[in-house]
Amino acid sequence: MRDIHARLKQRHHLGQFERQRPGLAFFTVPREYLRGLLLDLRDKEGFSHLVLLTAVDWMEEGLFQLTYMLNNRAEDVTFGIRVMLDRDEAEGDSIHDLWPTAETYQRELKEMFGINFPGSPRIDDEFILEGWTDLPPYRRDFDSLAYSQQTYAERPGRVTHDPREHMKQKLYPDGV
Amino acid sequence: MFSFKPDRSQYPAAGEDGKLEIDLETGKYLKLWQGPNHPGITGNMSVELTVCGDEVVKGTTHVGYLHRGFEKLMERRTFIQVFPIVCRVCVPEPDFNEYCYAAAVEDLAGIEVPEYADWMRTLILEMGRFNSYMMFLGGIGGALGLGITGQWMTYLRDIMLDRFEELTGARIYHMFILPGGVRGHLPEGFEGRMEEVLDTAERYLADIDRVMFSNSVFKTRTQGVGYIDPALFEPYGVTGPNARAGGVAKDLRKDSPYLVYDQLDFDVVTHTDSDIWARSNVRRQDVQVSIDLIRQILRKMPKTGPAMAKIPNVLHWKIPRGETYIRGECSRGEYGYYLVSDGSGYPRRINVRGPSYTHAMALLEHMIPGTNISDVAALMVSLHTYPPEIER
Amino acid sequence: MGLREVLTPFTVWKRVFDEPVTIKDPIGRPGADRYRGFHQNDMDKCIGCGTCETICQNAAIDMVPIEGVEPEKGDSGLRPQIDYGRCCWCALCVDVCMTGSLTMSNEYTWVDTDPDKFRFIPGIDGDWKDDVAGYEREGQRVLSGVERIHMEEMEPEARICNFDEIVAGYTREEAVLEADRCVECGLCVATCPAHMSIPDYIAAVRDQDYDRGLQLLYETNPFSEVCGRVCTHKCESSCAALHEGDPIAIRWLKRHIIDEVPFDRRIELIGQPVEPNGRKVAIIGAGPAGLTAAFDLARAGTSVVVYEALEHAGGMMRYGIPEYRLPYDALDRDIGVIQAMGVEIKTSCRVGRDVMMEDLQRENDAVVLAIGLHMGRSTRVPGTDGPGVEKAVDLLRRITDGEEVPVPEQLVVIGGGNVAMDIARSMARLQKAKYGEVGITLTALEDIDHFLADPEEVVESREEGVEIFDARGPQEVMRDASGAVTGLRTWRVKSIFDAEGRFAPAYDESDERVHAGTMVIEAIGQAADTSLLGEALTEALEWNRGRIRIDDAFRTSEPWLFAAGDAVKGPDVITAVADGHRVARTVMEEFSARQVMQ
Repeated sequence: MRDIHARLKQRHHLGQFERQRPGLAFFTVPREYLRGLLLDLRDKEGFSHLVLLTAVDWMEEGLFQLTYMLNNRAEDVTFGIRVMLDRDEAEGDSIHDLWPTAETYQRELKEMFGINFPGSPRIDDEFILEGWTDLPPYRRDFDSLAYSQQTYAERPGRVTHDPREHMKQKLYPDGV
Repeated sequence: MFSFKPDRSQYPAAGEDGKLEIDLETGKYLKLWQGPNHPGITGNMSVELTVCGDEVVKGTTHVGYLHRGFEKLMERRTFIQVFPIVCRVCVPEPDFNEYCYAAAVEDLAGIEVPEYADWMRTLILEMGRFNSYMMFLGGIGGALGLGITGQWMTYLRDIMLDRFEELTGARIYHMFILPGGVRGHLPEGFEGRMEEVLDTAERYLADIDRVMFSNSVFKTRTQGVGYIDPALFEPYGVTGPNARAGGVAKDLRKDSPYLVYDQLDFDVVTHTDSDIWARSNVRRQDVQVSIDLIRQILRKMPKTGPAMAKIPNVLHWKIPRGETYIRGECSRGEYGYYLVSDGSGYPRRINVRGPSYTHAMALLEHMIPGTNISDVAALMVSLHTYPPEIER
Repeated sequence: MGLREVLTPFTVWKRVFDEPVTIKDPIGRPGADRYRGFHQNDMDKCIGCGTCETICQNAAIDMVPIEGVEPEKGDSGLRPQIDYGRCCWCALCVDVCMTGSLTMSNEYTWVDTDPDKFRFIPGIDGDWKDDVAGYEREGQRVLSGVERIHMEEMEPEARICNFDEIVAGYTREEAVLEADRCVECGLCVATCPAHMSIPDYIAAVRDQDYDRGLQLLYETNPFSEVCGRVCTHKCESSCAALHEGDPIAIRWLKRHIIDEVPFDRRIELIGQPVEPNGRKVAIIGAGPAGLTAAFDLARAGTSVVVYEALEHAGGMMRYGIPEYRLPYDALDRDIGVIQAMGVEIKTSCRVGRDVMMEDLQRENDAVVLAIGLHMGRSTRVPGTDGPGVEKAVDLLRRITDGEEVPVPEQLVVIGGGNVAMDIARSMARLQKAKYGEVGITLTALEDIDHFLADPEEVVESREEGVEIFDARGPQEVMRDASGAVTGLRTWRVKSIFDAEGRFAPAYDESDERVHAGTMVIEAIGQAADTSLLGEALTEALEWNRGRIRIDDAFRTSEPWLFAAGDAVKGPDVITAVADGHRVARTVMEEFSARQVMQ
């Protein structure tokens, strides 16, 4: 695991090797080195299984993290490869030609996070949502609670009491 | 005797760029929606078919009918509050969600689960796998007009749900695998009642062999139909029984043993043909593996021992910053949870990797062109798709 | 493919003769024994802590008042109401329940045309409320900690030969673990006489934010360092965690916050008082009530002088509580903060001797009396007059002052309260130093289960070699021909109170014992020394069974005079602190009222 990282580190400018447990490690790669790294991993190191591709919204830092989870089935080793994107101009590089199944992931990321992958087939087709006009809903700044409160009506009649406040009101209303 | 091969050479015409030209105005083509409510569709999804005669020239899958935004809901809940909703990502085999989520939290929090809980989790997962295969065997029969298998399999699933009910307290959403362990021990006399279920199942399955796998109609309609070239497995992320039916002897239970699978004795079922027949057969054999595993687990598991590890007060539970991925072999392939924690009391991101995501989207669309309309249902079912794990 | 494959499927026609497997009448089919069906709640066991509401991820639970269930110590009087339009039957509410009152039945069918019926209160509504079957959590509570984090204490052998502090205090790691167990229900707040914001400062410990913690403490208690060590911690007796496990160590967590904040930082965090308001207040007695009132008044801009008869400030905190429980420097820091607020404390200044009451009345806008209880009471059984019989408070005061006190080899203590334990354990230490062993017998009217002293005091006294005889009534102090004390004669107590609840001990005269000892120490209660008031004022004031009568706001019958603390209320430091706050508020309200009148 560690030696593969060491081998590819120089060429692809890999970030620090973070071992989570035996057989699973994470590291970051600059966006421009991603494709080369994926190719090397797929064709030379046996990481031919694209487990998943998803995003994490680090809103506070202004970043999107793309996670490419790659697995070498023979060795039972999984790498989580992180690519950090500028959140304001979120755009990644399509890998649908390396793994056709990536097309689905990229379509979902476009719809749910607003991350574009130019060149990916049907990237603008609706995936799950139809006629959605709000913020991409899986972004952290989309408030799902506020959305549901605006969209749906709460049946009235529910009221709750805080035990501490209730006891104060009943037992020592003036605070002593 | 029953072979029928239509001449499919002339439709549709390919344009200069090699893409299909489908002009609905010509009257040659028809758009047909299969789903979202259709007996040949597994769950709520639909396939938009473009047909020419009875041949499908293009298929587009549509999902979203069950979208509840689980991954987003999880981000708004504390780590313990996520526990009751993960199972809802997959109705027929919910336990994998519970296991993967719990194991992911334990991995980041550094919690060691007691041995008893590991055995119990394995038992639950195999019981869930059994149920999932019941749905499959019923479904594949149904998709080809064989109604009786659905009835029998529903019955078998039902008596297994009785065992789930007495063990976990619920039939469908068991909510039994808590981060830190499991919620309880085996009830008194459980082994005996489980043996009755397995025994009944074996008798019914023998009849399934007669009515389905020794049935020339079933054979004709599945052999050679829905072939997936094993060369497509890796590009399309095909895992589990779908890949094993194409000769790939990969099973995470064996290759990357989790829980107590390294202490259990079982073989990986494979087939070579990679068609609907092969996929159905692999699953039929895998049911037997599950039945044997359940027996083994009940025989080998410790009789007593703590079910839960000591965990912090869940009301203020903060998980250290980090990310992890937990996976397991569910009845449809690789199931996984990707969990990212920012060190707070709420998950930063949870991504559910369901096998249907890769099987029923890009792969299905790739396979559909050229099939007969009447085979689409069987093709879909043979990939064993559960739509909620696509849209989460 | 052959003919066999056409025919084989037909063999399953045999199943035509099978019994159907469907359940004929599914309505009424009972759920499994563990089935998570409709909720049940044992209304008497439930304490309304609301933990179920907190954990519910569906927001299905509301805490609502119930007719006939009133809030009381350790019970908010609220009970959960569940909205079955939202519930998902995950049973986390059952698992997290602090008392185990919330469970589930195995009932799962309920049909009604009125949707509001499905917002129901388990324990009141539902035919299944008394059903036995259904989900209960297996074993003890696992979702929050059950066991208290151990507090490091000196072993009996190490502590008995000195007056060093026994309790070590939590480390940061230990404190965080202990704070983690708190579920923040807040039931303790009502029980605390000063209503300290307990869940909030425990949260501050969890967050390792000691500055915030300290500010929270000072909002309600300027004697947090003292209370963090010697508080009677009634709060812990209404903690939700005690129903299945140990209550949260609230007192030790309070102490931990104080221990983590250096003295100078404390003053910095509290900040300076507001601008002077021109009012002057004299406070008599530098105990917890008087000094708390002084702190509040000073922070509000009032000029405060505290008059203390003894050599040092602190009252019973210094002269009653032994040093091994409350080191003097801890007390000095609390007092130091109060002085830093501009409070002037005149020690060794006895009102009625060094300064006159009339002068205080004339020179101040108000006078607060907080003189405490410093006169020991006597049992008045035969033989108590004369040498060899001492009062516990007098001895404790003399030990604090560093005086030489008589230390016999064998002595008897009368009393079962904390003062009795204090003097017994103090004398034990002196005996150990002088003779190398302890010879103390303690007798009390109450049986051991009803001792007034804190349980840990009883345990530790025994560990230190004090021999305790419970349910013994003193009858006579025995003396020899020369008049020297030889022991105490007691009878066994049959009951302490009569049918009307009056104090009237009944004895079994046949069960008599003589406890040998050359000294008898009485520790059965104290009285206030009100001689400082002078004849005229004593005459003018209204009294209530030997105590100055006060109203709810601590006003006496004289408009310029207020009274608080043990002398009028009692019985402990935290109550005195609460009284101090209250009397200060009354005084300030009085000032505002006077301003309006002018």
